Amino acid sequence: MKVGVDIGGTFTDLVALTEDGEVRLGKAPSTPEDLTAGIREALREAKVELSRVDWLLHGSTIAINTVLERRGARTALLTTEGFRDVYEIGRGNRPEAYQLFFKRPAPLVPREWRLEVPERLNSRGEVLRPLDEPAARAALARLRAGGIESVAVCFLHSYANPIHEQVVGALLAESLPGVYVSLSHAILRECREYERTSTTVLNAYVGPVVECYLQRLQAMLAEEQFQGTFLIMQSNGGAMAPGVARRLPVAMMESGPVAGVIGAAELGRALGCANVIALDMGGTTAKASLIEAGAPRIATGYHIGGYAAGQPMLLPVVDIVEVGAGGGSLAWVDAAGGLKVGPVSAGASPGPACYGRGGSEATITDANLVLGRLHPEAFLGGLMPIDPEAAARAITARVGTRFGMTLPEAALGILRIADNHLALAVRAVSVERGRDPRDFALVAMGGAGPLHALAIARELHIPRVIIPPLPGHFSALGMLLAELRHDYVQTFLAPDLLEADVGALNAIFDRMAAEGRAQLEAEGVRKPEVRLGRWLDLRYRGQEATLPIPLDQEQVTPEGRLALRRRFDERHEQQYGHAAPGEPVEVVGLRLQARGSTGPRTFPETLTMGRRMPSAGARPVWFDAARPIECPVHWREALEPGAEVRGPAIIQEAASTTLLHPGDVAEVAAGGALVIKVGG
Amino acid sequence: MEGAGAVDPVTLEVVRNALVAYADEMAAVLCKTAYNLMIYEVRDYCVGLVDPEGGIIAQNTGGLPIFLADLGVAIQDGVRRHSRDGFRPGDVLIMNYPYVCGQHLNNVVIYTPCFHEGELVAFPAVRAHWLDIGGTRIGFGSNESTEIYQEGLQFRSLKLYREGVVNTDLLQMIRDNIRFPDSSLGDLRAQLAACRLGERRLAELFGRYGRETVRACIRTIWDQSEALARQAMARLPDGVYEAESFMDNDGMDLGRPVRIHVRVEIAGDEMTVDFSGVDGQVRGSINCGESGAVAAARVAFKCVTLPDAPVDEGGFRPLRVVVPRGRFLNALPPAAMGQWSIPLPTVIDTILRALAPAMPDRVPAGHKGDMSGYALYGVEARSGERFVCMNIMGGGWGGRPHEDGESAAVSVCQGDVRNVPVELQEMTYPILVEAHRLRQDSGGPGRFRGGLGVELWVRCLQPMLLNVNVERTRCPPWGLWGGRPGAVNAVLLRESGQPEARPMGKLTRFPLKAGDVIGFLTAGGGGYGPPIERAPEQVRLDAIRGYLSQDCAREEYGVVLAPDTLEIDQEATAALRATRRHPDPA
Repeated sequence: MKVGVDIGGTFTDLVALTEDGEVRLGKAPSTPEDLTAGIREALREAKVELSRVDWLLHGSTIAINTVLERRGARTALLTTEGFRDVYEIGRGNRPEAYQLFFKRPAPLVPREWRLEVPERLNSRGEVLRPLDEPAARAALARLRAGGIESVAVCFLHSYANPIHEQVVGALLAESLPGVYVSLSHAILRECREYERTSTTVLNAYVGPVVECYLQRLQAMLAEEQFQGTFLIMQSNGGAMAPGVARRLPVAMMESGPVAGVIGAAELGRALGCANVIALDMGGTTAKASLIEAGAPRIATGYHIGGYAAGQPMLLPVVDIVEVGAGGGSLAWVDAAGGLKVGPVSAGASPGPACYGRGGSEATITDANLVLGRLHPEAFLGGLMPIDPEAAARAITARVGTRFGMTLPEAALGILRIADNHLALAVRAVSVERGRDPRDFALVAMGGAGPLHALAIARELHIPRVIIPPLPGHFSALGMLLAELRHDYVQTFLAPDLLEADVGALNAIFDRMAAEGRAQLEAEGVRKPEVRLGRWLDLRYRGQEATLPIPLDQEQVTPEGRLALRRRFDERHEQQYGHAAPGEPVEVVGLRLQARGSTGPRTFPETLTMGRRMPSAGARPVWFDAARPIECPVHWREALEPGAEVRGPAIIQEAASTTLLHPGDVAEVAAGGALVIKVGG
Repeated sequence: MEGAGAVDPVTLEVVRNALVAYADEMAAVLCKTAYNLMIYEVRDYCVGLVDPEGGIIAQNTGGLPIFLADLGVAIQDGVRRHSRDGFRPGDVLIMNYPYVCGQHLNNVVIYTPCFHEGELVAFPAVRAHWLDIGGTRIGFGSNESTEIYQEGLQFRSLKLYREGVVNTDLLQMIRDNIRFPDSSLGDLRAQLAACRLGERRLAELFGRYGRETVRACIRTIWDQSEALARQAMARLPDGVYEAESFMDNDGMDLGRPVRIHVRVEIAGDEMTVDFSGVDGQVRGSINCGESGAVAAARVAFKCVTLPDAPVDEGGFRPLRVVVPRGRFLNALPPAAMGQWSIPLPTVIDTILRALAPAMPDRVPAGHKGDMSGYALYGVEARSGERFVCMNIMGGGWGGRPHEDGESAAVSVCQGDVRNVPVELQEMTYPILVEAHRLRQDSGGPGRFRGGLGVELWVRCLQPMLLNVNVERTRCPPWGLWGGRPGAVNAVLLRESGQPEARPMGKLTRFPLKAGDVIGFLTAGGGGYGPPIERAPEQVRLDAIRGYLSQDCAREEYGVVLAPDTLEIDQEATAALRATRRHPDPA
């Protein structure tokens, strides 16, 4: 049996998949004081015994919450002499350009715990000034006296030569045993001292917290006689062994959200669509990401806590564009009379007006309800009845009266603006990356995704929409499909690709490949099953941004350089609309990705939920403000593979609702996914 | 723009979001494919969608703040010269004429006409800073020019393409007269790609909603922005507010400061910024055109009205700017403008200072007030190739009504502008950075301290030349309400073999030898409120962190700390503070 557990801020979700394709679900409130309690509860609910589980995949918000709530370890930073303030100076930028009271990201290590060590390398990694060991020891003595729990070390140009960081690492192990140590070169070998320092500090800051968490979790697993393989989800969409997570906890920042993207990629592959756009719409936001040729698009880092005032983190992460449009997003009118939807959200409490918890604001959920798109008694599987009257009052008061609109007009207007925000997020990951959405299928998940997917697809002329099985639990399900995966990056500058030293390039690839292989073998992957991908980061000489261009063989050869260059020109043209085939192309860095299997990970042929629902009749649904259309309602669980549903129609399930517009045709695929042909 | 009837609020919101998204998408294409760091790191660009009358429909978020709604004048001039019927699909125009654009020649605007059903509806326009534009001096950091003709090529809305066909003669003329043609023509390609993208997006939008609806949306967006700005203005007390500051000099007449006097009048829901009191145009190159003065006033206006809203023409309707011709903020031909932007952070800060009594809880003390950049350049000894190493540094911002000012942040004219990582500089240029650190004691003392400036010490590994524009060394970032000024900008040179560093002024083409070390020290922000009102524990924490010295704690804050433990000597502190009278408010 394979089990995925996703600990989110509110709920711990669990999906178990048995050998014969049966799916079991568990959901329990997250328990921040001891997260294992929530996991135990979810296991109990799903009737899963850990002793019978072969694979356990786990995503958790522990790392990112430790940063956002600033409750990490007492951390110190060691830097090259003269550079302890690099971490506080940052890049000096003010993204909120007209805001006189802008705030810079507050350092996680205060200045008194940023100590300097005499040493210096140049950009080629040559030692200009040897490490002053007595001075380093004196600094360590200060850290010991100060009760420091975790130490980050980031020296200038250590990406080119890690020798001084390694020496200090050895000194730390010797004189501060038990203190958590993060050396920048062991996390990423990329130039840009501020971003590398920030990534290293983040790792050090969350390290002891994550270590403690994993110890607790593993103790629980041992207690429950778990004998299988335990893996942690990473921001890059892959999984890693707990030993790696302890050393590299910064890699699990986006542990939860990426699993849905991986699930979408695998589902697409199973259905013969290698190009899909994943859209995950929840209560407060929606997240879009692009999957091309079966692989999610990866970004080289992001800012934790937002670009304007967040902490940069340079490790590869699944490229996600987030917009403030979820079920709870508010419709409101600004001081000049403009109608807005989001990014402000009613949250869980009081929540949308229809929750009847005292909220009087109109939300997207309220609009869906008054238009008949949501069923008042079937919301969240009937666990939470919602009140259409309250929704109608809120929409009329907040929007209808203000603009002289009828109730359906106002509700449809709110949804049109919301769908437009969602479409802009989908555009951002496709059109704005040089991709035509018409070549993609849209995989919609999250509680609210299936309700809006067909409108968004129409807006962007996306021909096909896929609603996965269990769209409300798809993150946990996606984890079951993740592979083991490790990324390696090395900065290496060669001013002309066509004359680049292939020996030097191959030597770096070989070193990274050896590291990746050793890592995967330690995680139990057999040698022949290790798969490696290699990329060169290229740009026209003089540019700043690079594009990663894949190698189609294991080595760079003198002849292969020209092919890479041509591929770069093509990608540049595709991405940005122009290319310069006459200009020299520069090598900036090398990337290697090592992947290995986590057991069976094809999408299940059949998913049986063991429940049968009767046909649910019909109800009126508004598609335009003139009059409602009577729509048949189908229970998702009752639809057999091969069944066809023609829009307009509603397909209802426990944690979600799919809305088919007139002209849409849904077919139930093997495995239970709805594959919908978008009507005109 | 002519309008149609009222527009429904839903379509309006959809069109509004789309327009900003288009401008941002164009900016992303420019930034990712540009060839010079002034664009991709310094973000010295702006992208706009402009109507044929010159009104800004939408501008990208995140470019240089000083490029605020100032593309319109370039379009207006082009429409006047070519006439409204003088554009065809596929045309591409190039524009940097300084007495219209108001800026130095390096800032080149590329714009293209966009048609819907045969009618001219808008121009996507992209301004970007080219690395070099010809002229007597490399790049743009020269203090030596006194006439525009020394500063490079001027293009006044020339057609680089006619109906899709490039003018190869013009292109060749540009290529042969600038120093880094590959870089600048690469940037031109990026600008053009961004404009073409804008044309496609606008055509889709007009095609989908129709000309009348889109126009009605734009008109309503402007009206709504105007209403919001007026509401913000109406909350301020009516009155006339004045402030003054000065620049060290114009770069030529080193002994003569350049006066900046602003008179701001708030009447009802409108504001007038009057620059009649600034000095006349100067011999050096810190002049700008009227458009520069208007942009500076707009930045201050936006900061105090709608700092977080998207930029469009309507938001500035309640603002009037008066700047007589022949002042250095509205210079006439052939005034030099190479350093046009240098005084503008101070101009904006002076407007804010004038407004401080009208809005004491919204205006911080003075910030570093200059652009803090340097350019090291020459011919690389090993490869024989030319190089230019440019960088922008942050400095201190003023203390605020409720908290300390931020340290090490770029000026009010620079928004999402980033310094260049030391590792990148050393990888690319023959220099070695000795230290990059916060500058102790540079933050102006106050109840809420000014932020700290930055120190960057650079060792030259071979002979090279230096341009640097150290400014505001005599008019420090001011304190407010009893706060003290921040430390001023400085440039120090420690020559090879010498133990001491000596202070330098503005330098153009200054020769440095291998082994020379040059230090760039940026200003700290001014303090807000009397320093002796700062809690002693806060002063102690600053001392522990090394943000200030023990001397400063004692002299400026009246806090006596034990030399070894930095414990507060309560008695000595109380005694010392008792001798200090509250200074008069600003």
